[in-house]
Amino acid sequence: MSAVITVKSLSKAYRYARRRGGFFEAFSPEHVTIEAVAGVDFEIARGERVAIIGPNGAGKSTTLKMLSGILEPSGGEASVLGLTPWRERKALAYKIGVVFGQRSQLWGELPARESFTLLRHIYDQEAAPFAKRLGELTERFALTDLLDQPVHRMSLGQRMRCEITASLLHGPGLLFLDEPTIGLDVTAKAAIRDFIREHARDHGQTVLLTSHDTRDIELVCDRVIVVNQGRIVVDQPTDQLRRRFLGRKIITFQSAGQGVSLNLPGVTRRLSEAHATILEVDTKLTRVEQVIAAAMADGGIEDVTIEDPPMEEVIADIYASTHAT
Amino acid sequence: MMRAFRLYAAQSSAAIRTSFSDRGNFAIQVGGMIVNDIFFLTLWVLFFAGFRSIGGWTLSDMALLFGLTMSVVGISGVFFGGYRDMAATLLRGELDALLTQPKGLIPRLLARESIATAWGDLAGAVFVLGVFAKLEWTDLPALLLAIAAGTTVYVSASISFASLAFWAAGARTFARDLTDFMLLFSSYPGSIYQGAVKTIAFTILPAGFVVLAPMGMVRNPGAQTLALVLFGAVVYGAIAVGLFHLGVARYRRGASPSM
Repeated sequence: MSAVITVKSLSKAYRYARRRGGFFEAFSPEHVTIEAVAGVDFEIARGERVAIIGPNGAGKSTTLKMLSGILEPSGGEASVLGLTPWRERKALAYKIGVVFGQRSQLWGELPARESFTLLRHIYDQEAAPFAKRLGELTERFALTDLLDQPVHRMSLGQRMRCEITASLLHGPGLLFLDEPTIGLDVTAKAAIRDFIREHARDHGQTVLLTSHDTRDIELVCDRVIVVNQGRIVVDQPTDQLRRRFLGRKIITFQSAGQGVSLNLPGVTRRLSEAHATILEVDTKLTRVEQVIAAAMADGGIEDVTIEDPPMEEVIADIYASTHAT
Repeated sequence: MMRAFRLYAAQSSAAIRTSFSDRGNFAIQVGGMIVNDIFFLTLWVLFFAGFRSIGGWTLSDMALLFGLTMSVVGISGVFFGGYRDMAATLLRGELDALLTQPKGLIPRLLARESIATAWGDLAGAVFVLGVFAKLEWTDLPALLLAIAAGTTVYVSASISFASLAFWAAGARTFARDLTDFMLLFSSYPGSIYQGAVKTIAFTILPAGFVVLAPMGMVRNPGAQTLALVLFGAVVYGAIAVGLFHLGVARYRRGASPSM
């Protein structure tokens, strides 16, 4: 398959002034350079759905910003759809869609429909094909009833559905998503993930997303690039990563009396607090519902929370594993 | 070019509709601005009733200056309202989304907002110019050119001030203060500015090119006054575009405070 994105030794360093203590030192700050991306190499083929994951400050968003033409790198090369993003930004913009989870490309006070119409002018789209694409997307994303509602009155999940629709209206072959599910509830996250996966699959679209949420990666992407401190730690298929690192859940039981005590394969007790028992479950060995059923049978359970392990832990495991081998 | 104009018109029209959307708020803001303008004008009417002239300036001159200033602020606010909070917009990192789209950044930033109070300025300008400025119909072409040139300089200077946000986070309020100072300088008779203050009024805070030079062209039309007005518009326009794009280059290198 042909490469849609080719990245060679791409790096980005930020220089900033760090204030030192004392009155006079404030006038001569120390200049510090941080390597946000430290020479990464990868290729992404047409139709691949790839996640870049990593803890805060790992260089995920910086990489995405360089590949979408926002930022210029400090060094290295990149080709996106045959263009150099930072030199051919405007030409590239017609071919890519970009969604930032914490930024909006919509006009908050306007109904979504008017924002979409403005985007037609921005991307020089003909009216008829644009209307057809808008109709398909709004139907698939269940936006028909929201089109005449001002964006600022929408829930975060509804707004994000509109943002993703907006990024697809000009029919881009490549979609960049920066934390597309950040701040969303479980149902909204599920809707976004289903849509991205199915739309990309049906249209042969290439997707590159960054996320903190391991479920985004499992449910949307077929390949994962793990970055830490600006470097690629692991680059492998999601299935492979899932088998090794993504099959864990953290279950917290709140109880009035004694904590929960279970003896099941793959279930380990973490540091627990008074009336709260935190268990780590390897779901390949014991399913979540089995753990909950056993705990309920034990009696005294008042509340249960199921979470994915924090991304920092997943990265630490991957990092430890790759350095041990 | 036509596509760019159509896009600007579509965005600007959307921004104007947004400013109308809360009708109560719109009416209060416009009404408040009209009251403010009437109060300011009344002060000058009372002043000239007592003194007749100040440094050769009469009430009709003052009305022309006041009307030009209100026209410039009104047109800028209605059609280029994004200038007002441009520094804050840049510092919030909102340029990222615009950089992933294929159109020019300055028009996108200017057309993102329409300021409701600016309609009050426009209404006041029509009244003041029509009633007090002693203008003839034959002055209309020069008046329209004066307003266009003044608006260009005012918006350009505001873009230049906002571009400071690419270098310093403090530009959020500083840029707005500079724009307000420029407006203040544009609200008094040109004859009171001498020496260093006059230099400032024709350079850093180009009030001279926003209203004083355009006003001179309306009162004394001729090649020299026309050249001065066009010179101001072209130079300040070029400075704004140059400074903004220098700033964008810095932003894209990751060296701006908002990165």
